[in-house]
Amino acid sequence: MLVFASICLVVGSGGLGLIIANRIRKRPVELRQFLTALALLDTEILWGRTPLPEAFANLKERTDDSWRDFFGELEERLKRGEAAGYAWNQTIKSLDRSFCLKPEDWQVIRDIGKGLGRSDRQEQHKQIQLVQQQVSLLKEQVSTWAEKQAKMWSYLGFMSGIAAVIFLI
Amino acid sequence: MSLHYQLKPKPLTTVLKRPENQSYSGKAENMGNMGNSGQAKNMGHEWESKWYEISSWFGEKVKNVLNSIRYIPFTEVEEIRLRIGQPLLIRTFDRDVFLDSQGNPSSIDKGYRVAREDIVQTLERMTQSSIYAAEEELRQGFLTLPGGHRVGITGEVVLNKGQIQTLKHISGINLRIARAVIGRAIELLPSLTDSKGEFKHTLLISPPRAGKTTLLRDLIRSLSEGVPHLGITGQTVGVIDERGELAGSWQGNPVYNLGPRTDVLDGCPKAQGLAILIRAMSPTIVAMDELGHPDDVTAVRDALRTGVKIISTAHASTLEEARKRPALRPLFEDGVFERLVVLSRRKGAGTVEVVYDLNTGKEVFPKTRSEVQC
Repeated sequence: MLVFASICLVVGSGGLGLIIANRIRKRPVELRQFLTALALLDTEILWGRTPLPEAFANLKERTDDSWRDFFGELEERLKRGEAAGYAWNQTIKSLDRSFCLKPEDWQVIRDIGKGLGRSDRQEQHKQIQLVQQQVSLLKEQVSTWAEKQAKMWSYLGFMSGIAAVIFLI
Repeated sequence: MSLHYQLKPKPLTTVLKRPENQSYSGKAENMGNMGNSGQAKNMGHEWESKWYEISSWFGEKVKNVLNSIRYIPFTEVEEIRLRIGQPLLIRTFDRDVFLDSQGNPSSIDKGYRVAREDIVQTLERMTQSSIYAAEEELRQGFLTLPGGHRVGITGEVVLNKGQIQTLKHISGINLRIARAVIGRAIELLPSLTDSKGEFKHTLLISPPRAGKTTLLRDLIRSLSEGVPHLGITGQTVGVIDERGELAGSWQGNPVYNLGPRTDVLDGCPKAQGLAILIRAMSPTIVAMDELGHPDDVTAVRDALRTGVKIISTAHASTLEEARKRPALRPLFEDGVFERLVVLSRRKGAGTVEVVYDLNTGKEVFPKTRSEVQC
């Protein structure tokens, strides 16, 4: 019984550690996906002159997981007549929990919403480029950090399980 | 919204106080007399859905004002005008009505004042939050909404090397409601075709808001479908819809039925469009809206040598005026057009005043008038 309980404790806390590690690893992946989406959005605006609802519908088709839902909701909101900046912020508010991103990431992402669709193509392009630079800088920092943190959490889970078992025995 | 909403007693005093709005008070009374009849109900629902459809293009506050309108039948509305710092204005076929914040007719000083934010929100909705996508349209000073409604825009012009680059600080928006009128062309077609049913080069002229585009749309559809009892067989019609008004295209989907043999080139300059259509789509008739630019005129003169028939419109109120317009003069000098249709607003938009045979200078429509003259 004691052995079984100990195994459960180790596996449980180890599993928890792995889940946290996985979430940490997903953060740079999500930032990378966002960068790709930004590049696509830039092309849609600069070359395609595609109106935002249609551009978001295209992005929805070409992104995965949480970003697909994000752009899907944006498309819906714009079709309902919401202004792009407002819709962008509201979508972040309603969906940020389904991402593994941190508040500092959202702060940069939120910048896109400012003035989105409100100026000419060149101006939009410049604005997107600026955010792209910030996001790629953030992604580089986060990548190194995430690797270390993820490793730490995956060990820490099991270690703390084992420590708890030793302590309890 | 319910029937009650439509028939709810409203302060008729506001309406009656203003003599110029008497017709609306009359409408309101008539509606009241209708009681609970199905007709009133249907009419109400139809108006409301139409108002709702149009109002959704405006900013939140203006939208609420438009949704509260009760006494102005949607069918009579021709323009909705927003001017910064000025009262919200609706133009019907025979009068101007200023609206207060409850959607009631009001005097100029009590009207709902349009704010900058209303204009910005409206523009955002009309461009689907994508002003960059409407750059080309803004440069020309108009947008086209689904349904072919045209939105005129004024503001501060940004120049680049003497050319209009774009508009900024938009200060005025004018939504012109487009309507499809079906069947008007039939009465006109006999005077625009010869005995074999062959169509003649035709120009429709009128001052703005007299229904040129609407009539042209109906002519295109009739020619494309064919009118067997007039001996007119269906013909391939190429439409150069430079401003997106004729087909009312919105992202590639035409809203108006232009007939089964019609090819629409959406948003294309006339000169280039003519070359594309003639080369690729072998039309019998080419239709285009609003000749005015010298390039358009050059393109039309060129197209005549390719054997296609041309139907177009231009701004002018009489034949003399059209002849004097520098851009159109070469067309008249060359004797390009064989028929000239003059429209006016005398009995409402789309009143056909006269059709001239430009070869003989005689009036060929209305028949009765020429018969009387003979």
